[in-house]
Amino acid sequence: MKWTRTAGIYLVLGLGAAFTLAPFLLSILTAFKTREQFAGQSVLAWPDPFTVDNIVRVLAGPAEFGRAVLVTLLAAVLILIGQLVCSILAAYAFARVDFPGRQVLFWVYLSTLMIPPVVLIIPLYLMMTQAGLRNSFWSLVLPFAFASPYAVFLLREYFRGIPQELIDAARLDGANTLDVLVEIVVPLSKPIIATLTLITIVSHWNSFMWPLVVTTGPQWRVVTVATASLQSQFNGNWTLVMAATTLALVPLLVLFLVFQRQFVRSITISGFK
Amino acid sequence: MASNRRRRHPGIRRRNTVTGYALLAPSLFGVVCFMLLPVLVVVWLSFQSWDLIGPIGFVGLDNYRSVLSDGVFGNSLLVTILFVALVVPIQTLIGLGAASLLTRDLPGSAWFRTIYVLPWICAPLALGVVWKWILAPTDGALNTLVGARIEWLSDPALALPTVAAVVIWTNVGYVTLFFMAGLLNIPEQILEAARIDGAGPVALFWQIKIPLLRPTMFFVLVTTVISAFQVFDQVYALTQGGPAHTTDVVAARIYYEAFSAFDLGRAAVMAVVLLVVLVVITLAQQLYFRRRVTYEMD
Repeated sequence: MKWTRTAGIYLVLGLGAAFTLAPFLLSILTAFKTREQFAGQSVLAWPDPFTVDNIVRVLAGPAEFGRAVLVTLLAAVLILIGQLVCSILAAYAFARVDFPGRQVLFWVYLSTLMIPPVVLIIPLYLMMTQAGLRNSFWSLVLPFAFASPYAVFLLREYFRGIPQELIDAARLDGANTLDVLVEIVVPLSKPIIATLTLITIVSHWNSFMWPLVVTTGPQWRVVTVATASLQSQFNGNWTLVMAATTLALVPLLVLFLVFQRQFVRSITISGFK
Repeated sequence: MASNRRRRHPGIRRRNTVTGYALLAPSLFGVVCFMLLPVLVVVWLSFQSWDLIGPIGFVGLDNYRSVLSDGVFGNSLLVTILFVALVVPIQTLIGLGAASLLTRDLPGSAWFRTIYVLPWICAPLALGVVWKWILAPTDGALNTLVGARIEWLSDPALALPTVAAVVIWTNVGYVTLFFMAGLLNIPEQILEAARIDGAGPVALFWQIKIPLLRPTMFFVLVTTVISAFQVFDQVYALTQGGPAHTTDVVAARIYYEAFSAFDLGRAAVMAVVLLVVLVVITLAQQLYFRRRVTYEMD
């Protein structure tokens, strides 16, 4: 009885895992097949001959996927740096500086968490157009590079756990607020900063609707937009399209497998996205 | 103590004000310019007419009249509610089931958990495109494997459930993680006490664990309802709102209204309605949760 029950549980878990992994494996397998093999053999067949033509065509071809990867990474890194710097400063103010209006402003920050991102797309588009920044690299970066109320919230919680004595001791040694931040607060907050780094990079590598709206043409395409445009341009040419999805998915799979524990913790403490 | 110090040294207070606002300034600039201002702009734009190219002109309530009187937006609201009603309960049940299997201390549980979370961290658009091929009618992986020709995405009766299934597939790992954390947080003494009182595994699950999971359940429901209400990427990849508007969810409608029909005023009205709906849902869920908690403590 006990034995069959355990076997049953593994069977259910295994089927779930197979169902979860199948689309990833199908995408990767298909990306390395020739068009002939794709048309002639089972979708489950191993790529034979194994070809990287699709990947090369996607990266260097008219979709300019290689460029899209660079644009996406650069935008994500700039957003990350901006958000971390701004949020660390703001979170320290909320956690440890007693200034008038602190309570009210913190409530304003919390209430912005209720604003659905989809709602901001239209007004941000209008603002970027008026500022002459539509279809520019900066339109991908600016709206996200300053504020992340979410990051401020998580960092504030963390900063409140840092013993005040450490900060007071540094103060007595003549450290100013920036010294305290750089020498004490940030080094003690590495885990939460690592969490925010993962969340920010992943969500901006994956982000789609804003880049789709604010950019036109191949110049400032990000990876997701390049994948979508490749799919509509080469509709039905699935080996090529799966090469694009594989390129969009595999970097994150690798990142996830390397930082598995940090990722799982990041999701549970923050509930991102 | 802090207030004592403040009263004794008005200089410290002034310095704290300067320091506080100086530290806050860059972040506050972002919050004001890219979150609060856009909310005002979208409300303002909902009273204007703009086609992306020409000048912007005031039209009063025309956009509201036009959006609320034609059936297109009503259909989108209905489709979205149907979508949420399909996705949220099913993924919650599957996630709860998976979590209860994964918290039995069986070897390999961590691996299964990792695998289940994979879709959640990947780009929904890219996964949507993969599923678009898997579900393609003639050369799609699913139909060639089962040897049928089912129009998963172009049959009006199947399209919405199919898109919902893809989204559930994406989200199950996320839901599972939270229920795992919730289940592992239940003190072993409570379970032991219930077992001594003669509770079997079924009673233990429904009468002890589920009630104790209420905070987790609340968090999962709030976040998944809100994200399901805004679904866009998978719809864009799979159906583009079709066939016959059967998957025309609100976020997709806003996008097509603005960037295919070039009617930004109407798109802004829809965005305002979506904002109001989601804020009301969030606040209602908060109130409901508060009441349940105080009830529990009585």
